[in-house]
Amino acid sequence: MEQLRTSLFLLIFLSSISFAPATRAQTIARKTEGPFGYNVSLEVILSGTVSVVLKQPAPGMIMGSHLLLATTSGPVDASLGRFALLSKVALPITPGQQVEVTGVVKTINGMQVLLARTVKTNGALYVLRNARGFVLSPQAQERAKQKTAGEEL
Amino acid sequence: MNHKKYTTISALLFLAASFLTGCSNSNPPSVDSIAATSGSPSQSAAINTAFGAPLIATVVSNGQNPVSGVIVTFTAPATGASGTFANGTSTETDTTNANGVATSTTFTANQTIGTYMVTAAASAVTTTADFSMKNTTALVTSSNYSFYLVGLESANDGPNFYALAGSVNIDSTGVVVSGEQDYNDASNFTSPEPSGDIIVGGALREDPTTGQGTLVLVTNNPNLGVDGTEILGVQFVNSNHALIIQFDGSATSSGSMDTQTLPSTLSGGYAFTLSGVDGDYNPLVLGGVFSISGTTLQNGLYDINDETDDKFVALGTAFTGTVSTPDSFGRGTITGTGLAGITGITLNYYIVGPEAIRIIDVDPYDSSCGSAYGQGSGTFTNASLGSSVFGVEGDPWGFNYSAAGQFTVPSGGTLLGVDDNDEEGEISSASPISGTYSIADNGYGSMTIHRIDLPNGGVVAEEGIGGISALGIYMTDPTLNLSDPNNTHTGMGGALVVDLDGPLIGTGVLIPQTDTSAASFAGNYVFGAQDFFGGKFWEFDFIGQGSVTSGTFAGTGLVSDLGGFFGKGGNHTRVTFSGIATPDGVNVGRYTIPVAVTLEGSDPRDLAVVIYQASGEELLWMDEDRKGMSLGSLQQQGSLVGQPGVGTSGSKIKPRVK
Repeated sequence: MEQLRTSLFLLIFLSSISFAPATRAQTIARKTEGPFGYNVSLEVILSGTVSVVLKQPAPGMIMGSHLLLATTSGPVDASLGRFALLSKVALPITPGQQVEVTGVVKTINGMQVLLARTVKTNGALYVLRNARGFVLSPQAQERAKQKTAGEEL
Repeated sequence: MNHKKYTTISALLFLAASFLTGCSNSNPPSVDSIAATSGSPSQSAAINTAFGAPLIATVVSNGQNPVSGVIVTFTAPATGASGTFANGTSTETDTTNANGVATSTTFTANQTIGTYMVTAAASAVTTTADFSMKNTTALVTSSNYSFYLVGLESANDGPNFYALAGSVNIDSTGVVVSGEQDYNDASNFTSPEPSGDIIVGGALREDPTTGQGTLVLVTNNPNLGVDGTEILGVQFVNSNHALIIQFDGSATSSGSMDTQTLPSTLSGGYAFTLSGVDGDYNPLVLGGVFSISGTTLQNGLYDINDETDDKFVALGTAFTGTVSTPDSFGRGTITGTGLAGITGITLNYYIVGPEAIRIIDVDPYDSSCGSAYGQGSGTFTNASLGSSVFGVEGDPWGFNYSAAGQFTVPSGGTLLGVDDNDEEGEISSASPISGTYSIADNGYGSMTIHRIDLPNGGVVAEEGIGGISALGIYMTDPTLNLSDPNNTHTGMGGALVVDLDGPLIGTGVLIPQTDTSAASFAGNYVFGAQDFFGGKFWEFDFIGQGSVTSGTFAGTGLVSDLGGFFGKGGNHTRVTFSGIATPDGVNVGRYTIPVAVTLEGSDPRDLAVVIYQASGEELLWMDEDRKGMSLGSLQQQGSLVGQPGVGTSGSKIKPRVK
């Protein structure tokens, strides 16, 4: 019996050694805290009217483009990120437009800001950030479209 | 009687004359010719250098008999192209030996280029022997340099991420003789493989005092630079190492250029990092360790932080590969690794030396660049890491942030220190940190950093606190300088770093902290940094040279600012940098310094810079502004003797500005 236990232990031990390289790779949880950490479970959907379109941030705002929204709960600063209004395929948006913005509200540099992941306006949905809050570049969006088109073929 | 008397007298006179002629030593030998028999028909030497052979004249009589004891006078022109003998003058006398040979001392060309004659004359010979001489331009030698750059491309409908690595042969006059390079923006501007781009010409021009200038690389790829011609700003730290930036308006980036030791054999353990974009054009960073034996890359382990949805952060993935034999430029390939899950990913490498290579991903749809450094012959433990400074900066295509700090190691596996973080303008300055780390015997390790004195009186904000916290660390040879791999004297050891914090996708370095004395932070320094800011084209880069005296910093440099952070988008020369470094009263080795950057004709703009001192020879600095953040270094400047291309400033080159 003792011999059997030892053999079993050795077998398990040897198995763990032989499979170590293949099993060593592990993924770790992505950080969602921090000023720009993005926890999709905390997303909110805000509807409002665009009052100001800012290609460049006003003093005190975080980097990138912004929309100032008038909502039923008060004014909201929505951060659109680096590319939304400056790339060749800029988000078509003007003051007075009705929008629905999905994102996570953060407090950065002492100011509340909505990190906008999607903007819906005039029946079109624009994706600005991925599910982890990373701002999507035009190149990344194009690659994603190509990949989707390729999968559909 | 008279006839007989005359005959007798004549005979006596003849005998007397004959006796006198034959017996006297005061008369010159009977000679009839002198000939140049060595150093003829012509010799050439670079100005201010010695000719290869002495001047030799042979004196003979009767057309064949050597005559000894003849004084031969060698005479070079008194003005113009000429030279001097060992006596420091253009004239020298030498006496023929038993073989009739008179040999001059070493003859050295003066500083004037041209052809001329040196004559050799012997007494009693009416003709002279002539030596045809030529003073040529300075002695032309050449060296190979390995270079790399990572940054943002403006061309090709940029901004795009891009990386550039190559090897270039430059002669001592600054002429670019030849070279090879790989350029990759993963967006159609990818050098053809396997050939890469050929560097067909160009020039290095730099100020001999400051080591600052430009390197023009004429390539056969019309997509790159300005119609195929790239211009790099160069700032030599010493004769083997320069900080570089792209400086032609097609892109901006920061990197390094270093003398190559060729051939070099790659062998043993290496630590590496890569930074770039994946096949979905999202940012990624990689880091890890591997070993090389012959053409086999083995025992690889890597960590990855990749923004693409299905990868996130993964640790300790095993890999192997194949390393090709490098070509004459030290360029080779690393294949079969499957790094980043990319099947068929091809990396090219450029040798700096046996313990340093630059690596670039040359696939058309993904791009990254970095370095691999040797790990030496020993193994590692937690004790391999001591007091250190560190710097981490975001991938140019990722979330913009930078961090720098320093720590001590109270006990193996733990750390205490301070750091600064700037995440897109969200700044935490001088945050006390603690942490833990673990290092395996192959140098593969990890580090966790905690901030122990939170802002707002220790109250954790709703969204928590920022700053780097989860790092992969990969130990390098404790006798290798990571910034300047040819430097074998100072700044040895350290580790490469990959940020595994999820949204913070960056790479960096750990450098042993060996001297925190403010008195050591003095002398001439080379400096540079890669700066990110909130703009449509969000990167600027700069390099420069200056001095630090009692904490007062002043320098002049080149700024590549295509996005117009300083108001005037473009490339700028003669930019001044100045500031006063104030030592941190609590954290010795840390300084704050508002650096005023002044473009010609503009008002200064201050950058809020913090410095961490590894030693007097090397310091890391980062800009922590609400509108921008950077990471760079100050490296003490060494000897520039032997620099190629010295003498003509490159500032006359007008780069294209888009």
